[in-house]
Amino acid sequence: MSDAPRLRPLGLPRVVHVRTDEFGDPEFVRLSGKPARRVEAIRERWRIDDEWWRQPISREYRAVVLDDGRSVTLYHDLLDGLWYAQRG
Amino acid sequence: MHPWIPTHGLVRRRIRGPLSLGDLTQKAMSESHSNAQRVPTHPGSGWAPTDNNSTGWTPTTPDTGWASGPRSGSAFHSTSGRVSSGSRQALCLWLPTFELRLELLRSPELDTTSVALLSPGESTRRTIWQVSERAHDAGVRPDQLVSQAVSLCPSLTILEPDPAHYDAAVDSMLETLSELTPILEPAGRGRVFLGMDGLGRLFGSPENQTKRALCSLFQIFPPPLVAATRAGMAPGKFGAWVAAAAARSGDPVIVTESELTKFLARCPVSALPVDPLIIQRLERLGVRSLGELKRFPEPSLVAQFGEEGRDALAWSMGKRIDPVRPWHRPKPIRVSLDFPNPVGITETLHGALDRLVERALSRPKRRGRSVTSVRMGAHLEGGGSWFVETVLREPTTQRERIASPLRMKMAISPPPRAVETLLVEFTQFGAQSAQTGLFDRKDENGRAAAGRDLAQGEVPPSLRDAVKELKLRLGHSPLYRVVEVDPWSRIPERRHALLSFDP
Repeated sequence: MSDAPRLRPLGLPRVVHVRTDEFGDPEFVRLSGKPARRVEAIRERWRIDDEWWRQPISREYRAVVLDDGRSVTLYHDLLDGLWYAQRG
Repeated sequence: MHPWIPTHGLVRRRIRGPLSLGDLTQKAMSESHSNAQRVPTHPGSGWAPTDNNSTGWTPTTPDTGWASGPRSGSAFHSTSGRVSSGSRQALCLWLPTFELRLELLRSPELDTTSVALLSPGESTRRTIWQVSERAHDAGVRPDQLVSQAVSLCPSLTILEPDPAHYDAAVDSMLETLSELTPILEPAGRGRVFLGMDGLGRLFGSPENQTKRALCSLFQIFPPPLVAATRAGMAPGKFGAWVAAAAARSGDPVIVTESELTKFLARCPVSALPVDPLIIQRLERLGVRSLGELKRFPEPSLVAQFGEEGRDALAWSMGKRIDPVRPWHRPKPIRVSLDFPNPVGITETLHGALDRLVERALSRPKRRGRSVTSVRMGAHLEGGGSWFVETVLREPTTQRERIASPLRMKMAISPPPRAVETLLVEFTQFGAQSAQTGLFDRKDENGRAAAGRDLAQGEVPPSLRDAVKELKLRLGHSPLYRVVEVDPWSRIPERRHALLSFDP
């Protein structure tokens, strides 16, 4: 709309490949450019449903620990069905 | 009786010869007790003629006062005798309910409905600002509360004002008219005075000059808007404004020097650019027209109304001619910020405001000048805009002194919807303050000083030079600042963002 400098959001989600178990929890995660890793533990889970009046957001978050010890925050977008990794 | 002269209220009295206003005051005061319900008050409607036949509109412009510049306060210059600067011959172009007409042009489907425009800058008790003819027929009036208006006209379409859109239209109008004459003086949105001295050789008779001015508006406005424009030409702005208000659409009123006194005599006293209380008192005294006013001796008017009584007499006798003066507006410094997602959180907007003020202060154009007037605005989600403006108590170059009054204004009148783009505009400037010169941090060196400068919104010269060099090599500044956007958002990508660092 204008030539004003635009803020570039930090922590934008990135699509990741996730294999889930029979309960829908992530079992294996393959981050971009990395080999697939087993999910050792799910530390926390929460859900966000927001902005139904604008562009609805519906996400199921899981903070997971991978088998190499790394902590990753994943979410399952309930609107497009994809999995994303996100800092935050 | 002239159509302007109200027929309600007190019975008009015939005044023969000079009268004592003291006698009339006593008489009116005794009458005002018995006729309290009949005293005309003219609530905000000004004195514009209710000429529905020609325009199909009820004039609702509330501001009959004079203003210099579309967004500035009152400035009413006058001269007696020779005009040393400015133009004595004035042409007034006036578009009543300018803002509402622009809205209807944008949404033509509303043309056949009852439409009202909300007053700008109010948050809790929103009132009606301008109304369409259909809404007027249904009883909707300016200054009514929205609830009252809706109860009177359930099908009423209420529009939020879009000041950015209106100001853009005014700017293009001024630009177009400036090709006609260099002497232009806007007086609020939709009303502009043109200095016409010396244009006779170029454009011919006053009628031709007026036609030329109206025709030039076709370049920017569609025919219905131009057709609704009223034009009046007379010596001085006051005469021109009175003539424009008396004119019908497409039928300009031109008053020559010799006709001015006679023409003014027919005008109502509410046309006078004096304190509204004086007008109210004059009307209570039964003095309705300027012709009636000028029959009073000057000493009795001065005794009653002070210096303004003298002024009123001078206006009404056509002795006071106010020239059109060229309007000078310094080029504003404008900065803006687009949000990735519309923002409605006050803290986020405050943070963005601080950053914008910092950026505007660091602009090279601002150097050597302090800021005296600042404007903050926003483009809103779903269209429309919002603005607040403040004149600073004293010229300053400090971020907090500029941002603080804007934050207060925003608290009183917050944006009605989420903000897509926030903008800040420095509109008036003063001399550089002596304080800044005494304690100029640019003389300091060292990491500590640089860090403090950055926190205060000032950029150390070394960093500025480094960015300048990088920009020369790369074509853009590769540095960014991490800024908090909405640190408590549930959605992680909304919390922080990168902002280009370009001091």
